[in-house]
Formats: sequence, C-alpha cells, structure tokens
Amino acid sequence: MQGEALARLALLFCTLAMAGCAATGRPVAAFVEAPVELTATPFFPQERYQCGPAALATVLAASGVPVRADDLVDQVYLPGRQGSLQAELLAATRRHDRIPYVLPPRQTALAEELRAGRPVLVMQNLGVSLLPRWHYAVVVGMEPEGDDYVLRSGTQRRRVTDRSVFLRTWARSDNWALVALRPGELPAGDDPDGYLGALAAAEATGRLAVAAAGYRAALTRWPDNRLARLGLANIAFAEEELAVAEAQYRALLATDPADLVAMNNLAETLALAGRRDEARRMIERALALAGSGHPLTPVLRETAEGLAGDRPTTAQD
Amino acid sequence: MIHHFLRRFVVGLASAAMLSSGFAISASAGVISTEQAAAMAERSDRLDRVSAFLARADVAAELERYGIEPAIAAERAASLSDAELMSLDGRIADVAAGGDVLAVIGIVFVVLLILELVGVTNVFSSI
Repeated sequence: MQGEALARLALLFCTLAMAGCAATGRPVAAFVEAPVELTATPFFPQERYQCGPAALATVLAASGVPVRADDLVDQVYLPGRQGSLQAELLAATRRHDRIPYVLPPRQTALAEELRAGRPVLVMQNLGVSLLPRWHYAVVVGMEPEGDDYVLRSGTQRRRVTDRSVFLRTWARSDNWALVALRPGELPAGDDPDGYLGALAAAEATGRLAVAAAGYRAALTRWPDNRLARLGLANIAFAEEELAVAEAQYRALLATDPADLVAMNNLAETLALAGRRDEARRMIERALALAGSGHPLTPVLRETAEGLAGDRPTTAQD
Repeated sequence: MIHHFLRRFVVGLASAAMLSSGFAISASAGVISTEQAAAMAERSDRLDRVSAFLARADVAAELERYGIEPAIAAERAASLSDAELMSLDGRIADVAAGGDVLAVIGIVFVVLLILELVGVTNVFSSI
C-alpha cells in the first residue's frame, strides 16, 4: 500500500517535471537527457588568429584523420584576413577524405550530433555586429537540459559557456555548424538533402570513392532517394563501369519514366558502350518530353548533337 | 543596410555556384552531374514553397495593396536567380517560424522583398 502511494507520488512528480520543461516551449525530447561530453576529443590550442586550423584539426582528428592544426594552416588560413573562410574549411575536410556536413541551423541538430559521438565545429561572433570578431570553436559537450555548452575554444581545452551566451554568439553566424563524417557515415538527423548536397560536392571535386560510400549509406537509410542513386550511376559512368551505370539509370527511370537527367546520362552511357541507336532513341524521347522551354533542353540538345555527329564516343574528351 | 548585405550575400553565392558548376562540367562532358541535379531539385523545391506562400490569402492581399497581381508575382518568382530564390525562401521560412505578431510584420517584409527582387520597386535602396 505504501509502495503504491510512493509510486503514485513518483509518477506525479515526473508529470510535473515534464510539464515544467514543456512550458518553456523548447523541444523536450532533445534536452531532458543525460549530459554529453566527448572527453576524448583532441585539443589543439590555437596560435594567434588561427582558430580555423585549430578547430578543423579537432574535428578531423576526432574522426580518425592523423592531422594537427599546423598541418592545416596552409590549407585554410588566410594571413591577409587573419582568419579562415567557411568554404576553405569545407574544401580542406574533403581533401582529408571526410564529408563536410553542414548541419541544419538548429540547436537540436547540434545536440543530435553530439549524442552520436561527433564533436561539432561552430562559427561564432564574439564581438558585436558593428565590430565583429569571428571565431571557430568545437562543441564537445552539453550539460543536462542544455544549460551549458562545453567547447574546445582558442587556448582553453574545456571552456564552459552559458547556454544563452553560446546561442547568441552562434546565432550571429546563422548557426553555422559542421561535422566531419567518415566515408559511409550518416548524419544523426533526418536530413537527406543536406547530406546528399555534401556528397555531390565531394563527387564534383573528384572524391569519388568517398562520395560512393556515402551514396550507398544514404540508400540504406533513404531507399527511395533519387540523388543518391543518380550519384552512384554517375560515379559508375565516370569509372566506365557502364553496365552498373546503365542499371542504376534504368532503376531511376523505372520509378520516374520522365526523369530527364537519367535519360540524358543513360544516352551517354549507351553511346559509350557503342549502342548508338538506343542512345539516339533515348535522347530523342527526352527532348520530346522536355519541349522547348525546359531548363535542361539545351543540355539534351547538346547530347543529341554529339550522338548525331561522327565522333566515336565522348569518353576521351 | 539590408540591401547592401543582401547584395553581398547574393554575389557571394553566385560566384560559389559558378565555381562549383565549372567543376561539374569539366568532370565529364555530356553527363549531368549529381551536383547540378541536386541544385535543380533544390531550386524546384524552393520555387514550390515560394509559390505556395504567394498563393496564401493574407499574402495575396498584401501584394494587391501594392498593385501587384499575385499570379504575376508567382510568374516573376520563377525567373529569379537561384541565390535570390534562396534568400526569399529563407525569409519565408523565418515568417513561418515566427509568432503571430512577427508573422504580420514578416509578411510585409517578404512582400517588399518580392517587389524589390521582381523589379517593381527599389524600396530597399533607401534603407
């Protein structure tokens, strides 16, 4: 009897506690949890102005890349600006065979990545809008209910920052945040577009194996994702695995027979395989579907002209 | 101020886009790259969201206050550059995230931004 009363009291207490959090209007599930701190995250105390190389080395080393801040100075530090640009951090991450994934600009996305065990590189403005002082740091931990954030920042290995201060300084960069994903590693949140965009950029800069691993992982989580399948097809084409490329383009057309991108690229694949009649029929069908006003029409016409001419293939172009 | 910021933002984006498409095209002539396909899909999603916003009754009323037919605004939105569309879509997302009071101010702001982008007015030049 006494036990039952206690249980009820406990239940009531739980309900009240949850209501208290819910009333503040922030997402309950994301914050009422145990604290997180990725204590094993390495630390590279920054030299003057060089928070970019230091912060990037931190997330890269945490993802298993044997790199130090000094190694990155030439890749990301601009002496003239006494700082680093976001685009350079992305490019340098790709150069080390990691996928630079920019998080959706939300606290919850940051929390999810921390819980998945990945430190998060953030951009902050520690000054004011008239006199900005841009800074890169790495969030490695969050106290219960997100009241404090733990950062590797500047010369401080464990800088504890009050939640409201952190959020204010981070918001001034439009909540810019980056994690370095290993090949085939998926982001914690459900953000196929953001992840696929990062993979496509890796593919475009020639990191084909890393991009392919990511596309395959993406298809295990989002089996209907068309960009992931297109990416695999395009990489197969680039590596002249024509049968693989053809199968993937046809898989895209099986679910959307009007996919002009798949039709165009399949036509190129067939042509490269020496099946020029099939290729021509494919591109003509695409042109008929697109009509004259479609943004892809010029590209389709170019493909059609290439097929009509006497050039054997476009492989060596 | 806002106008200036927007300009710089737009110019930055445009140069980034040019750089990346340069990469994509040189990779293998003739094939449409995954990056180009992603950009196209993103653009069409944005355009859908902007069109849905312009079709809202409160937004249409605001546009009409400035003498703009909502249908014409939607048509012009389709001819915006990727970067312009992106900034517009971002403002709309802000409006959707804000409360009621913010929403009303937000709608007016976005409508003014639309008018500016589609070339009806240059209200931001004076800010």
